[in-house]
Amino acid sequence: MTTSTHPTPSPFWRRWRKEAGRSALMWLIFLPLALIVVVPVLYMFSMAFTLEANQLKFPIEWIPNPVTTSNFVKIFVDPQLPIVRWFTNSLWIASLGTVVIIFLSTLSGYAFARLEFPGKGLLFSLLLFSLMIPAAVTLIPSFLLLRDLKLLNTYHAIWWPAAASVTGIFLMRQHFYAIPVELEDAARVDGADRFRIYWQICLPLVRGAIVALFIFSFLGLWNDLFWPLIVLSDRAALTLPVGLIVIQQGSYVQRGLAFAGAFIASVPVLVFYAFFQRKIIAGITTAGLAGR
Amino acid sequence: MTTTALPASTSLSNSRRWKTLRKQLPNYLFVLPHFFFFTVFLLYPIVRGLQISLFDWKIMLKEQKYIGLANYQALLNDKIFWEVLGNTAEFMVVTVIVNVILALLVAVGLKHKFFGSDALRVLFYAPGILSVSVIGIIGIRIWDTQIGILNYFVTTLLGGPRISWLGDPGIVVPALALTTVWWSFGFPMLVFIAGLHNIPEQLYEAAKIDGAGRLGTFRHITVPLIMPTMLFVVVTQFIAHMQVFAQPYIISGGGPGNASRSASMYLYETAWKFFRFGYASSISVVMAVVMIVVTVVLFSLMRRRTEY
Repeated sequence: MTTSTHPTPSPFWRRWRKEAGRSALMWLIFLPLALIVVVPVLYMFSMAFTLEANQLKFPIEWIPNPVTTSNFVKIFVDPQLPIVRWFTNSLWIASLGTVVIIFLSTLSGYAFARLEFPGKGLLFSLLLFSLMIPAAVTLIPSFLLLRDLKLLNTYHAIWWPAAASVTGIFLMRQHFYAIPVELEDAARVDGADRFRIYWQICLPLVRGAIVALFIFSFLGLWNDLFWPLIVLSDRAALTLPVGLIVIQQGSYVQRGLAFAGAFIASVPVLVFYAFFQRKIIAGITTAGLAGR
Repeated sequence: MTTTALPASTSLSNSRRWKTLRKQLPNYLFVLPHFFFFTVFLLYPIVRGLQISLFDWKIMLKEQKYIGLANYQALLNDKIFWEVLGNTAEFMVVTVIVNVILALLVAVGLKHKFFGSDALRVLFYAPGILSVSVIGIIGIRIWDTQIGILNYFVTTLLGGPRISWLGDPGIVVPALALTTVWWSFGFPMLVFIAGLHNIPEQLYEAAKIDGAGRLGTFRHITVPLIMPTMLFVVVTQFIAHMQVFAQPYIISGGGPGNASRSASMYLYETAWKFFRFGYASSISVVMAVVMIVVTVVLFSLMRRRTEY
């Protein structure tokens, strides 16, 4: 009789209960941090849809009343704030710049992993040495050089210095190393030359690292402020992060506009992030560890 | 016989060397494209930067005046420069310490899966996806005295007075550092999670059998074994945060006074606001020297600690 009133829980349920308890405890610990991370971003979304007149309300009006798109309308009609142009500039700079970085890094990374040539060791130590030098030193000479080449306010002013970056080479080199040499030998016996081996055999095998480098470089170029701020000054040539500074400072002290601009700059990357979170997290980890 | 054979064999090996060199020649095509940009936009600027720092370089002049080490001499006596360097160091130290501790603790919590742990990991990295300009625009309003998010909670939840966070020279740098932590702790967290997964699980099991508590295993297993990862994180974070520019530039404008002006911001203003490129170059060289020295010291310090 007593056994029927107190049935021993099956191992499955016992485990489930233990797991649930642990999950609840972890959420209790992490919830405050999660809120701290989320609240400012939600605040930005909310302020983007808040009337200029209500921006200064205190205590804060968390849910806009009324919800308005007037900030966005104001940005889009203002010829001084060509935000669509900024958006396309950013997109062009980030995507083509990333393609260039991937092309150069895979070529060079492959050579350092697999090919022999005189001066290879010296060249590699030069690349390592350059990792130690902070970007601050190269800012002024690179700026003067681009000015003399009449390339300020063009996409080239971002692409060319980006093409010099070395982290991608270390990342690709590591991954090319991991490919079994036998694969290449087999291809060589079949009469493939070194460029075909690189292009048709090795590149497809490091697809994961290429995706990682793509994500890392794209986000870097899309989000960068300092260098674009230095080499881009024409209103039409700006990228989104620099454009946001223009909205924020100068004669545009309208607060709603800044948040609408921030919204436009953030939502595409956040949506992209939400869709490809697993790939992006893996990619950031892989690429971020490249210099190790 | 043997002596006569020798030159023949060297000439043979010489011709063979020529042959392998000819075979290796196309390999340069792989490294050449990158090396071109690397030379023009990295190697050359480094040398050129050193050179410009020896001139009284002003952008509108046709002929630049060589002044030797005068820029560096002026820098030694430049009170603002030392203040700015101090601010940058303070910002870096607070950011790196809080970032590393927070990231490691969160990584330990998220290492073993639980319901929603992947979602939390994605969430904690999310601010890192945003541009620093966006972080700046949000940051202004986090710390605003009149209408800020923080003061909202201080006044409504705690019933305290509004605090002038960015107006206080003692608070402004830590405030910028905490904003940066909010933006960037996700990356070291990801790196630590990867590092924690490399620690063999048997060690924890052995410690459990030996009756070690949670704190004990953390101190005696996790911390020492995560040290190589820690070294990587600390060095990369140090290099990144010593060059901080956007946060003070957007959020506090370097103020009050110069209380939150960073070295990069001072460099930027010297060059692109006052057009003193020579002086700005000497600032960048000093920054580079400081950073290289500290990186080397960090490496040797942490190396010693990881050998046990």
